[in-house]
Amino acid sequence: MRMSLVLELQDVPGQLVAALEPIASVGANIVTIIHERDVKTGALVPVQVTIEGDKETLDLAIKKLTEKGIRIIEKDGIPLKEKVNAILVGKISEEELKGIVDNINNLEGVKVADLSLKMSTTSSTIKVTMEAEHNSLGLLEDKIHKIGVEHRLLVITET
Amino acid sequence: MRISIVGFGAVGQGVAKAIRSTQERLRRKYNLKIDIVAAADSKGAAIQEDGLDPQKLIKVKTEKGSVAYYPDHGHEDMDSLQVLDEVEYDCLVEVTPTNIITGEPGKSLITKAIEDGKDVVTSNKGHLSLFYKELVGLAKEHDVNFKFEASVGGAMPIINFAQETLPSSRIESIIGILNGTTNFILSRMTAEGSSYEQTLKEAQELGIAETDPTQDVEGLDAACKSVILANAVLGRECTLDDVEVTGITKITPEAIELAKEDGYHIKLIAEISHEILRVGPRLVKDTSPYAVDGTLNMATLRTDLAGEITVIGKGAGSLETASAILTDIINIWKSKH
Repeated sequence: MRMSLVLELQDVPGQLVAALEPIASVGANIVTIIHERDVKTGALVPVQVTIEGDKETLDLAIKKLTEKGIRIIEKDGIPLKEKVNAILVGKISEEELKGIVDNINNLEGVKVADLSLKMSTTSSTIKVTMEAEHNSLGLLEDKIHKIGVEHRLLVITET
Repeated sequence: MRISIVGFGAVGQGVAKAIRSTQERLRRKYNLKIDIVAAADSKGAAIQEDGLDPQKLIKVKTEKGSVAYYPDHGHEDMDSLQVLDEVEYDCLVEVTPTNIITGEPGKSLITKAIEDGKDVVTSNKGHLSLFYKELVGLAKEHDVNFKFEASVGGAMPIINFAQETLPSSRIESIIGILNGTTNFILSRMTAEGSSYEQTLKEAQELGIAETDPTQDVEGLDAACKSVILANAVLGRECTLDDVEVTGITKITPEAIELAKEDGYHIKLIAEISHEILRVGPRLVKDTSPYAVDGTLNMATLRTDLAGEITVIGKGAGSLETASAILTDIINIWKSKH
């Protein structure tokens, strides 16, 4: 079987070879490589790689890539979602919380997957776990900070 | 090399101690003999052309409260600016307290020394985060050395490291923990589940947090350091007003607990890039380089050629900060000999 992956690599010499090495090492066949230098975002370049092998080999290739810290942003044309956490602290009503969740869900490619709430006498602490497509991450970060300003909450996001 | 130390608190005394303990090695290795020809604090000064005794300086400061009572060479009520006219020296070591409103008295002292053609080493963040461009420009104009490694990260090498050890690489960003006091408080809250107020009190009792902890806990100290790094390492022109700052005072034990459930710690993180300049609490993976505890500082430099490089070290402390000052002094000496 064949599988098409889009990897996100640093635009630095040697990165592509380093990304292909784990694929080759598990015995998967590399069919095509498209280096999309013209869609570079910052120092990162998406590289489309089509690989071939049996299911176990392909799964192993993905595992190896992930272990090496190589980011896979798309698999067979479907954007892979990433889990993103944020913690909000402050005085917040149930109504407001509902509004915030709707606000996040309205962003394209983003969905609230989980909410944890802890109350104390002075303030509430909320952990929001979201699933976001790779190219929505920047938008999501901005949105969360805007929500913080709007509702006067301390916002703690991931680095 | 004749130095004048202005400011004789923990850092100034650390410099005196470090000079004393390294004198043999510096002479042997670099043929460098450092003479403290003047030391000044807010109450006066001690001046001796052929060098003051570092040990005596510390003793007199500890026992009597000021270097002005140094036997035979003390000058009560002598103003620090005047001291710079009273004695021949090569390098000013400016270690007066940080002032983030006016940058004084450090700014005037440094300006005078530079205009008099002297080299300057400082650990002070105030004037640098307010008037970086002006001061560095002045030093260039007068063709003197102006070094400030100790102003960021204490003993942790970062400014010289980025400028001198990594000249091949363009630095894209620096992300790190630049304040030891808040890192201590957050680490303790994470380990003990204690409240912010309770932990701050503990830090104050241990002498890690100051009686007025505002500059640390509101993120201003880390913001000053971020400004210095943005200017010195990334070549950005910015001042303290340009930093987006959030402190740690609103962090609840519940927030720390919720973060921990998913393998995160909450840290006060400074982010400096060509687009971003901010300090605020962030979630960091407990397996990441950002998960350093206690009063330690750390910084990850993202570069184009060398990839990511992380440095970790003691961000404060008398001798630790003095080590960075002494490094600057030695480097100035080496550049000339």
